[in-house]
Amino acid sequence: MKAMPEFHPDLDLVTEYAAGTLPLAQSACVSMHVSLCVQCRHLAAQLSVLGAALFEELDPAPVGDAQLDAVLARLDEEAPLKYGTSARLAGAVPAILQRLMSGDLSDLSWQAIGRTLRISYLKTGDPDHELALYHIRAGGRIPEHGHRGSEMTLVLAGGFSDADGSYDRGDFLLRRPGDVHAPTALQSEDCICVAVLDAPLQFTGWKFRWMNPFLKLRTG
Amino acid sequence: MRTDEWSECLRLIAAEQDRAAFTRLFRHFAPLMKAFALSGSAFSASHADELVQEVMLKIWQKAAAFNPEKASASTWVYTIARNCRTDLYRRLHKFDTAVSAEDVGADSETEEAVVLLHSRRSSENLRGLMQQLPSDQRQILAKVFMEGKSHAEVADELDLPLGTVKSRVRLAMQKLRIQIER
Ligand SMILES: [Zn+2]
Repeated sequence: MKAMPEFHPDLDLVTEYAAGTLPLAQSACVSMHVSLCVQCRHLAAQLSVLGAALFEELDPAPVGDAQLDAVLARLDEEAPLKYGTSARLAGAVPAILQRLMSGDLSDLSWQAIGRTLRISYLKTGDPDHELALYHIRAGGRIPEHGHRGSEMTLVLAGGFSDADGSYDRGDFLLRRPGDVHAPTALQSEDCICVAVLDAPLQFTGWKFRWMNPFLKLRTG
Repeated sequence: MRTDEWSECLRLIAAEQDRAAFTRLFRHFAPLMKAFALSGSAFSASHADELVQEVMLKIWQKAAAFNPEKASASTWVYTIARNCRTDLYRRLHKFDTAVSAEDVGADSETEEAVVLLHSRRSSENLRGLMQQLPSDQRQILAKVFMEGKSHAEVADELDLPLGTVKSRVRLAMQKLRIQIER
C-alpha cells in the first residue's frame, strides 16, 4: 500500500512519549528523533507542560510527617549535584545512542546480511523490542521485506528512499504491520539508521527468504 | 524570569541547601506525587511512598539544574516525577537495563527562544483553557498522562473505538492551543 511519507512521529506517539508510557526501545528511538528535530522538541515540551498542568490538578493524597522526616534524614547522604545546564543537547550522535553503543560506530559488532546491509543489535533492556543499527552501503538496496509488527526507523546519517518517499538525516518513519518496502540508500553516501522492531522483518523475494530464520527478534 | 514561590524554593535549595524551602516544596508537591503514583493503580501505597521519597531526593540533588527561564517549577518537578515513576515501574518488573527514563524521556526544557516564548505563554493559559475542556476529553488526557495508559488501553477501558480516543486527544490539544502540526 502506498502511504504518504511521514518524517516525524505522529501525535499519538509524541503524546505517549511525553507521558512517559512508550516502551523503552521506542522511547529511545523517538528521543533520538526529538534531539534532531526542533518541531518535535517543541511539541514534546508543550505536552510536558500539559502533563504538569494535569499533575497539579490531581486530588492530593495525604502524606504524613513521618515521610517528610524520613526524607529530611536522608538529605545529608544525597549531596546536591553541581551543574547548570541540561546535559542533553542536540549533537551529531544523539547522547542516548552513544550510551547504548558504549563506544564508537566502528567498535560495534556487525552482522552482514548480503553485501549491502550490516546490522548491529544494541542492548536496551526492553523485553519486547529490538533496537538495532542498520548500515546500508551507498546506493545499496535492502531486499523487499514485510513487517509483521511495527518498525520505527530514524535516519542518523546519509539517507534512503523507497516507493513512498525519501528520507534524510533526522527523519523518522513508522512502518505498520503489513507494510512492504524495499529501501535504497542514496548513491552519494552510506546510510545509517536506528530501527526498533516488535516482530522480525520478513524478506519476501525467493532469493532472500532463506535469511528469515536468521532474523529472530533480539530483544532485551 | 519566573519568581513564583516554587521556583524561589528551588533556588534556595540550590544556593543555600535551605531545608525550610525544601519542606515547603515537600508539603505542596509530595501529596501530588503520591496521587500521581496511585492513579491508574499502578503502585501499592508503600511503593507510592517510595516514589515520593525518591522524587523529593532527586529534587534536592538536582535543584541547581533547574532553570526558571526554560521551564516552570511545576513542569520541572512533574518531569522528574514522571521519569522516576517509569523507572520504578521498570524496576518492579525486573527490567535489566542501564537506561533510565531520564535518558530517553521528554525534556520540559528547550533551548530555542521561539519555543520558549510559546511554552511560557501556553503554561500560563493552559489551566484556564483546561477548565473549558469537555469532560470526556479531559478524562482521556488524565488517563493518558496521569494514569500512564496507552491510547489503546484507554479505548479498551472506556469501551470506545481507538479512533474516537485518538480524535478526542487531538481535539483537546487543539482547544488547549497546543501546536500539533509539524
Ligand atoms: Zn520531528
